[in-house]
Amino acid sequence: MKALTINGKGKIGDFVFNLINYSFFTAFTIACIYPFYYLFINTISDNGLVQRGLITFIPKGIHLTNYIALAEVNELGTSFLVTISRTVIGTVLMVGVSAFAGYLVTRKEMQNRKFWYRFLIITMYFDAGLIPWYLNMSMLGLTNNFLGYIIPGIVAPFNVILVKTYIESIPVELEESAFIDGAGYLTVFRHIIWPLSKPILATIAVFGAVGHWNSFMDSLILMQGSPHLQTVQHRLYNYLNQASNLDAIMSRSGAVKDVLDSKVIKYTISMVTIIPILVVYPFMQRYFERGIMLGAVKG
Amino acid sequence: MVASGFRNFSIKFLEIFMRVVAIFSAVVMFSPTMNPARVTDLINKTTSLFTSAISYSRLTSEAGRAIRLEWVSQGDFTIIYIASILISLGVLFTLIGSGLSIGNQKLKRLSYMIIIPSSLLQLTGLFGIWRAYRSFGESSRLDRVVYQLPGGFFIFIAIALMTILLSVALLLLIPRPDKDMPYDMDRSKQLVLMYMPFAALLFIFSYMPLLGWRYAFFDYKAGVTSLSLDSFVGFKWFTFLFKNKATLNDIVRVMRNTLVMSSLGLATSWLPMIFAMFLVEAKSSRYKRFVQTFTTIPNFISWVLVYGLALAIFSTDGFINSLFLNLGWRTRAVNYLMGDRFIWFKMWAWGTWKGLGWSAIIYIATISSIDPTLYESATIDGAGRFQKMRYITLPSLMPTYFVLLIMAVAAFLSNGMEQYLVFENATNTAKITVLDLYVYQLGIKNGVIPLSTLIGMVKSLISVVLLFSVNKLSKVVREESIF
Repeated sequence: MKALTINGKGKIGDFVFNLINYSFFTAFTIACIYPFYYLFINTISDNGLVQRGLITFIPKGIHLTNYIALAEVNELGTSFLVTISRTVIGTVLMVGVSAFAGYLVTRKEMQNRKFWYRFLIITMYFDAGLIPWYLNMSMLGLTNNFLGYIIPGIVAPFNVILVKTYIESIPVELEESAFIDGAGYLTVFRHIIWPLSKPILATIAVFGAVGHWNSFMDSLILMQGSPHLQTVQHRLYNYLNQASNLDAIMSRSGAVKDVLDSKVIKYTISMVTIIPILVVYPFMQRYFERGIMLGAVKG
Repeated sequence: MVASGFRNFSIKFLEIFMRVVAIFSAVVMFSPTMNPARVTDLINKTTSLFTSAISYSRLTSEAGRAIRLEWVSQGDFTIIYIASILISLGVLFTLIGSGLSIGNQKLKRLSYMIIIPSSLLQLTGLFGIWRAYRSFGESSRLDRVVYQLPGGFFIFIAIALMTILLSVALLLLIPRPDKDMPYDMDRSKQLVLMYMPFAALLFIFSYMPLLGWRYAFFDYKAGVTSLSLDSFVGFKWFTFLFKNKATLNDIVRVMRNTLVMSSLGLATSWLPMIFAMFLVEAKSSRYKRFVQTFTTIPNFISWVLVYGLALAIFSTDGFINSLFLNLGWRTRAVNYLMGDRFIWFKMWAWGTWKGLGWSAIIYIATISSIDPTLYESATIDGAGRFQKMRYITLPSLMPTYFVLLIMAVAAFLSNGMEQYLVFENATNTAKITVLDLYVYQLGIKNGVIPLSTLIGMVKSLISVVLLFSVNKLSKVVREESIF
C-alpha cells in the first residue's frame, strides 16, 4: 500500500519535473538556433517579403540571387582570401610548433627545464596590456603587414601546455627504446611522438582555426592603414556598423544595387561568414569537447 | 702540454667571443638607431633592420612622394629591402651556427663552416645597401633625399668581418677530427638549443611589450615626439589621472561598468553547473546530445557575428519588431539595441547566451565520470532526485567550479573588449564602456599613449595580485589551487 502511494507521488513529481526540465532546455536550444535560422531564411526568401518583415518561420519565394550578387563584391573576396590564408598558414605553424615545443619540455634532461617551462607559462597569466603590445607590433613592422596575423600566434603557450600534458600521458617505453637504438630527438619526434599525439593536435588545430577565422581585434588594431588586409569579421563589422560602407558596395556594383537592400545585404554577409563554422562544426564537435576537458585538467 | 693548454684556452676564448658577437648582432637587428639600411632620411627613423626586412610597406612608408616625383627610384628601395632580408638571414644563420658550436669537435667545425658563408651573405646585403646609397647620391633633390651611410652599416660590416676572422681562426685551431667521428652534442644542451627559436618568439611577443610600460612615464605622442630624457615626466600621468576632473570622471564611470558587469558574471558563474546537473536528468540521451550540440554553437561564432544576429532579431526592422507590427501588437518599431536601459543585464544575457552551453560541457563530462554505484546505493537508502543532486553530484562538481572561479576572479578587470565594442553606440556608450574598451578608445583611437599605457599597466598589476591572492586564499580555505 505504502509503496504504491510513494510510487504514485513519485510519478506525478517525475512528470512535473520532466515537463519543466524538457521545456526549459527545449526553449533555450531554440533560442540558440533560431537566430541563425531566421537569418538564413531571410537571405533566401523573396526580398520584397523580407523588406516588409513577413518572413519569420518559413522561407517564401526561395532564390539565391543575394548570394550570387555578393560574389561580385571584390573587397569581400579579398578579405576572404586574407582570412583563409591566415587560418591555414597560422594553424599549420601553430600546431607544428606546439607539438615540437610541447615535446621538448617533456624531456627531463633538458638543461634548466623548469626555467624554460616557466618562461612559457608566465606569459599566460601576465600581459603588458593592449597599448604596449600594439607599440611593440608597430615597432617590429608588423602593422599593416600580413605577417602580423601569423608570427605572434606561432607559439601559443596554452596549446604547448596541452600537448606537453598529453605527451606525458603516453607510455615512454617506445621512446626510450628508440633512444637506445641511437635515434635523435628529431627522429623520435617525427616517428613516435607526432603520430601518437595526433588526437590532441587535431584538437588544438580546430581551436586555432576557429580562432583565426573569428579574429577581429588584431585586424582592427593592426591593419588600420591597409583595408586590403582586413579580415572577414572586420569587414563585416564595418558593414554592420556604418551605412556608408554598405552604400559604397551597393553603388559600386550594378547587380548588387538591383537585388539587395541594406538589410538583406547585412544578413547575407553575416550568413556567408557563419556558414563555414556551421559546416565544420558537426565534424569537429568531439574535438571541441575534448579540448575543454584537457584545458580543465590543467586549470 | 703547455702549448695544447694554451691552444684549448684560445679556442674557448674565441668561441665565447663568437657567441657574444652573434647574439649582439641579433639584438642590434631590432634597434632602429643602428639600422644599416637607413641610408636616407626617407626611411622612417623608427625602422630597425628587422622591420626593413619584413615590411616593405614600412620601409617605403615615407618615400611615396619621392618615388612618384622620381627623386629616387623604386628599384633602390627594392634593393634595400632584399639587402635587409639577406643581412637578417645572415645574422640568423650565424646565430644558428654559433649555437651548433656547443657540440663536439666535428660539430664545431661544421658550425664555423656555416658561419663563413652566412657572414658573406651579410656582406652581400651590405654591398646592396652601399649600392643603393650611391644611387641616392645621384638624386636631383639631395636636400630632400638626405643620404648617408648610417653607423649601423659600419657596425654590421665589423660584425661580418669579425665572424669570418673568428671562424677562420677557429677552423685552424680546432684539429680535423677522425673521419668516422659522429656529430654529437650534450643531450641536455640539444634540447635547449632546439627550444631557443620558441623562447625567442615568446620573448619578442610576450616580454618585449613590457618595455612599452616606459611610455607611462614620458610625454609621448605617436610619430611626433620620441622618447628622450627631456620628455621624461616621471609620475606626471599618475597625478594627472587624479587631478584632471574629466579623466577622473571617465575612470570612475568605466570602473563602475567594469565592476558591475564582472560582478554579474561572477554572481551567475554557477549557472553552467546547474545547467549540466539538470540536463543530465533528461532521460533520452539523443535529446541530451541534441541540446548539447546546439547550445554550444554560439560559443564558436565571433562577437561581430553575435552582433549581426542581434541586429537581425532586435533592430527596428528585425524579427521582433516585424512580428509585433505584423500581428498588430504594436504600432511603432522599437530598436532594442539603442539606449542604455538594462544594458548591463543585456550584456550579461548575451554573454550567457553565447557561453552557457559551452561552459556546461565540462560539468557534464565530470558528472559522467562519477561512480554510478554512489547513486544506486543512495536510491536504495531512499534518496530522492534532488537529494542525490545535492549530496552526490554537487560536491563532485565543486573542485572544477572553484578552479574556474579562481580564474574568473583573477580576470575581474578584464571583461575583454570585443563584445562591448560591437554593441557600443552613441546612446549606450556611458554605460557599456568597460576598462579594456576604454584603454582601446583612449590609446588606439585617440592616440593618448601615455595615459592608456598607464591604465593598462595598473590593470595588469592588479590582475596579477588578484590571481595570486585568490589562489592563496583558495589554497588555505579549500586546499585547492591552480598552481
